[in-house]
Amino acid sequence: MNEGEEKLGQIYFAILGAVALAFGAAELIASASEGFTWGILDSSGGADPMFLPWRAIIILSVGFFYLSSVKNFAEIHQLAKAVMASIMIWIVAGMAIWSRIAGSIPGEETWFNSLEGFLASYAPPYCPEMFLLPFSLVIVYYVLKEKETEK
Amino acid sequence: MKILLMGHPNVGKSVFFNRLTGTKVFESNYPGTTVDFTKGWMRLEGEDVELIDVPGAFSLEWKDQAEEVAVKMLEENRDSVVVCVLDASKVERGLYLALEIIERGYPVVVALNMWDVTKDKNIGIDVEKLERILGVPVVATTAISGEGFKELVSKIKETAPVKIEKIIKNAGGGESAAVSG
Amino acid sequence: MPLSVDERWDLIDRISKQTVEFGAYKHTLKDAIAELTVKPLTGLPVAIAVIYGFWSFFCDFAGTLFTDGFMVKLFDEHWLPWLQSVFPGGLGNPFYALMVDAGHIENGVLVASDNCFEAFGVLTSGLFVVFGVVLWAILAFYLMFALLEDIGYLPRLAVLVDTVLHKIGLHGYAIVPTFLALGCNIPGVTATRTLETRKQRFLMITLLSVFVPCGAQIGIMQDLVPEMMGWIFLTLAIGYLGFGFILNKIVPGKSPEIIMDVPPYRMPVMKNIVSKLWIRTSKFLLVAVPFVLLGCVIVGIMYLPQVGAMDWLATVLGPFLMSWFGVPGETVSPLIAGFLRKDLAVGMLGGLMEQGIMTTFQVFTSVVLLCIYFPCLATFALMIKEEKWKEFIGSIASLVVMVLVYGGLIHVVGIMLGVA
Repeated sequence: MNEGEEKLGQIYFAILGAVALAFGAAELIASASEGFTWGILDSSGGADPMFLPWRAIIILSVGFFYLSSVKNFAEIHQLAKAVMASIMIWIVAGMAIWSRIAGSIPGEETWFNSLEGFLASYAPPYCPEMFLLPFSLVIVYYVLKEKETEK
Repeated sequence: MKILLMGHPNVGKSVFFNRLTGTKVFESNYPGTTVDFTKGWMRLEGEDVELIDVPGAFSLEWKDQAEEVAVKMLEENRDSVVVCVLDASKVERGLYLALEIIERGYPVVVALNMWDVTKDKNIGIDVEKLERILGVPVVATTAISGEGFKELVSKIKETAPVKIEKIIKNAGGGESAAVSG
Repeated sequence: MPLSVDERWDLIDRISKQTVEFGAYKHTLKDAIAELTVKPLTGLPVAIAVIYGFWSFFCDFAGTLFTDGFMVKLFDEHWLPWLQSVFPGGLGNPFYALMVDAGHIENGVLVASDNCFEAFGVLTSGLFVVFGVVLWAILAFYLMFALLEDIGYLPRLAVLVDTVLHKIGLHGYAIVPTFLALGCNIPGVTATRTLETRKQRFLMITLLSVFVPCGAQIGIMQDLVPEMMGWIFLTLAIGYLGFGFILNKIVPGKSPEIIMDVPPYRMPVMKNIVSKLWIRTSKFLLVAVPFVLLGCVIVGIMYLPQVGAMDWLATVLGPFLMSWFGVPGETVSPLIAGFLRKDLAVGMLGGLMEQGIMTTFQVFTSVVLLCIYFPCLATFALMIKEEKWKEFIGSIASLVVMVLVYGGLIHVVGIMLGVA
């Protein structure tokens, strides 16, 4: 990657890291209490509150990984931290999506869900990781850039 | 049979030792000196084998007490296999010690440790070719992640003493001689 | 012929010219990521994320989608009522009770069951446990396991854990059989063959059979008491580490390091995963189905009023169970069933819970007791095969001691916390 791209990446992932830290802190507070839902942000842990503290730890680590990758971002070890942080978001958010898919197919009383019920399963509020997911995908661009230079 | 773990100071030898044995038995202070050494047990094809962590030495032409102890240990254990741990990013320096041990007629397995560091430092080592020239097993290892250790252990029983003349021939005769060696 | 110093350096120069190349290799992103996953500071959060993913997938695939989504409906709303209507005999008939529905006493009247946890019949509870719950749990587990194995994460997790576990005298490699046993104890016990010494095998087999619940059991527990899973795992983990530490100290013999192959990370191959999944799942079914059905028959016979064995045992063992572990005498029947299959036993506990005769803490204690008190019959048979007689007796003796001590300890903690 060139210098401009590096600079951009640094600013971008510094912001994303800070947001992740904030989300992590929110989830930590949520897991200490009963969890909460705030607008379209859902930090209640869904059906299983025992997931919440673990999610908080993961998302806090994601924040730290992103932030620590910022210095000398183009360097491979630094970039790797940002990649790893993104992968961690993909795992957690991916499982949140999977959970909705699994819940959307069968119906309450019937074998399969109605179309409205199916679509309603995907409505907000979403957990913080889902909000981070689209933004974390930016790392793919940098990985592809890196692959180019590797060749 | 014993296994002696030899190498320069600071090549990750103690992490290496822990990866192989898991438990440490401190046998501090070699008789008559103030040099510490450690030994432990490892399992080799169903047998318990003693592994001695020889104090770090740069060369067998000893200049300090640790090197003196290293040489004595080598001489006391004529029937042992030597696992020579090299810092892969400084192969030349490590090879000096390895060659000295080979010259003395010990079966040697060369471990190119800190393999991950060579990648950081942008160094490429042709392990297979090195193995062909030296005529002893050469294994790339990374002590921190445990990479290469399984292979290293499997090579310990395979190794045998090599004549230094043969190594000179392999190295000097260029590519064709290396293949025949 | 020893060389002179100059000759030696000359030789090294020639060797290195042929083998060492500067600027030839560049650290790739893959190498850097591999490093991050084994260094404790960065590796631990990654491990938490991976296990989080593993567990979420397991719960949603097995619980939400298959068991609750389809199987409960199939078995409770269609299969059970249909059998109740067409099966010859009817409520009170011994054969009907064995095969379909034993029913239960409500206000002095024998009433039919309305779900497959309570019915206790071979064709109802038996089939429901295997095909309604456990099969999906096993599938989900082995799918994730094969994925982690093929990517190359599993050995790295072991290396990571190794650094932590060394402090209490265990090796990180222990995580591989342990992890495998979380699917089914049988492959877990078999995997101990890769351990080096008899002492290590003995320790591992004993710990596995006591403290590691199998996927079948986890699946059922997740279905019955999802809110307790965290505490259950914590309790089991403490027992596993604590007793592992003690056994390691008192059992004679060496415990050398286990050296593992750590392959580089790679993309998993679909074909490999599918074939592993198929082999492991079919092996599991081959063991599980006959044992679950047999268990249903035996427990069913003991339950029959004409036999009355279960009532008798509950009366005899009840006071002991109540005073030592703090669980009611009724739990004697799941405990008996647990000899045959743990999943079936937890399922029976579910039946008791629905009758509302246990407090929350008693449910917790009995679920934990079921996990630790005895390996299932298949594991038991394998232990006889894998261990020498002396070791086997040692395993059983340590098992009894561990169950009594740990079960009693849980009771004491419960009393101190004021929940028992």
